[in-house]
Amino acid sequence: MSSGGGLALAGQSGNRRWWLFVAAVVIAALPLVFQDSYWRTNLIVCAINIMLAIGLDFILGYAGQLNLGHSAFYGIGAYASTLLIMKLGVPFWMAFVCAVVLSGAAGMALSIFAVRLRGHYLAIASLGFAVIVHQVLLNWISLTQGPLGIYAIKPPPDIALPGLPVISFGNTANMFYLVAAFAFLFYLLLDQLVRSPIGETLTAIREDEVSAASFGINCTAWKVFAFGVGSAIAGAAGAFYASFVGTLVPDAFIITESFTILAMVIVGGMGTLIGPVWGAILLTVLPELLRGFGDLRLVLYGAALTLVVLFLPGGLVQAVQILRARFGLLRTAGDAGMRR
Amino acid sequence: MLTIVLQQGINGIVFGSLYVLVALGLTLIYGVLVQINFAHADIVTIGAFAAYFFTFLFGGNYLVSIGIALMVGAALGWLVNATIFAPLRERGSELLPLIATIGVSILLQNAMLLWFGPIPYAFDSPYSNEVIRLGGGTFITWQNLIIIGVSAVTIALLYAFMKFTMMGKALRAVAQDRETAGLMGINPNQLIMLTFVIASALAGMGGAMLGPILVLTPFAGTSVIVKAFAIVIIGGFGNVEGTIIAGLAVGLVESFATQLVNPGLTDLIVFTLLLLMLAFRPTGLIAEKREENV
Repeated sequence: MSSGGGLALAGQSGNRRWWLFVAAVVIAALPLVFQDSYWRTNLIVCAINIMLAIGLDFILGYAGQLNLGHSAFYGIGAYASTLLIMKLGVPFWMAFVCAVVLSGAAGMALSIFAVRLRGHYLAIASLGFAVIVHQVLLNWISLTQGPLGIYAIKPPPDIALPGLPVISFGNTANMFYLVAAFAFLFYLLLDQLVRSPIGETLTAIREDEVSAASFGINCTAWKVFAFGVGSAIAGAAGAFYASFVGTLVPDAFIITESFTILAMVIVGGMGTLIGPVWGAILLTVLPELLRGFGDLRLVLYGAALTLVVLFLPGGLVQAVQILRARFGLLRTAGDAGMRR
Repeated sequence: MLTIVLQQGINGIVFGSLYVLVALGLTLIYGVLVQINFAHADIVTIGAFAAYFFTFLFGGNYLVSIGIALMVGAALGWLVNATIFAPLRERGSELLPLIATIGVSILLQNAMLLWFGPIPYAFDSPYSNEVIRLGGGTFITWQNLIIIGVSAVTIALLYAFMKFTMMGKALRAVAQDRETAGLMGINPNQLIMLTFVIASALAGMGGAMLGPILVLTPFAGTSVIVKAFAIVIIGGFGNVEGTIIAGLAVGLVESFATQLVNPGLTDLIVFTLLLLMLAFRPTGLIAEKREENV
């Protein structure tokens, strides 16, 4: 099994650069295909959701920690960057970095705190953390203006390169390129991580913590690390969300938001990186296409999550594998015959 | 001041006993199956709606509606186990059933939103306005008296069932060691089903009594369930006595926090308690055998 998997990976890695190139071209072309602001908005939301989903997948799918508080790190990133900009006059990109660091630190803090806990206990602890963050945002009115929300948040500052026209992020196409570029960057980063020995270490911890520890792996440190990386990416998503939408209310980061992100990871296929990307795209775009059906679309959201867990636990990735096995069967059989 | 303390004490016990009803279901399921049912929240909500529609559409008696909600809850518990937990049990995953029930919860909430709409229902129990004056300026409504009475009787019956009947003993045996219990001729699948039915009946019943207190919307159960999770952890997962104590304690803490601090901060206080508990005493108030998750 392992040698076969290794061969398959070796075969894929030649294709990998090609696929990344295709992905970059598609990202570049998307705003040109979708000119109206409604669909461009959806594209940006897609990119933000992809960041959230791959970050959660790194924690859940690779490190095996069920984090039901991802919305909290998303919210911390959004509020931290916005408050730094609006209350202290910090420049956007510095505030962005602070938001990422702060969300990552919050994730690590929760993880250190909950490191003795596994499975259901961690799930409830992270859920409790999300409730606390939401309540703080709601009740610390002097800082966050509570349920009234924060308005008129500016988009990221224009970039003026010499000899080029000024790039303004008030323009939805430019904003999409910015957010998508970061989503792409985070994808590459996580992709490198999970392919490195770190990825194997995390998988070992996920599968059997005691055996992993017996190999001299410091499980605590790696779990905290994974939690930190995943929540830092959620913080980045939050900072982009705030600067794109322009208003912040605590209810944007209510615990159901965690469940939505979880659904993207599961429907796409947890434990793979490309799965949550497709899950995020599908569960962002599909509800928009079904908008005519009103509230029914969220019913479908729940149904999709349940049915995938019951019948297709590998998500979309598994569905593709099944299809590929069915239609690619003849070809691989032919290849094998040729080799013989 | 004494009046306030007594009055808030009564209110706290009213809320606390309802939390106990909801949290006991979670604890029972966890004890037998080591699984969390997220859809428990929606069984509470559906119980509340069942009671509402029975009393206001069909003109039924409120006390009878509690029984109706109990039956509706039991049926839903059977359904959730048959469709989600039983098929997933063979796969032996720790987290998949939890995630699946989050899906069920999203599904049920939004289905209710579709049918019942987002506007809160005014579920006024006929007993809410009848007041019994106690000494020292304190009072209790008939509704609250019903809540405390029904909860106390139910909890006592459940306790007796677990302690003294053959089936209750079998249930505890399954909770301790499912395989050995199976070898002793106990059918674990039947008992797991029974646990779900009892747990969800409690939730439905709790919903019928919470209905007049909460803002009755399709999302009413969620606010209760996150507190129930906190209670279950504070009490020690799977520990019935701990859950009862923790439930009453959370009800009291909440009611005094509302009076003395700020109503907006009650959830904050309860969940900070939860995290502190997890940090310093993760086995719960009453430490028990279960160590593998801690």
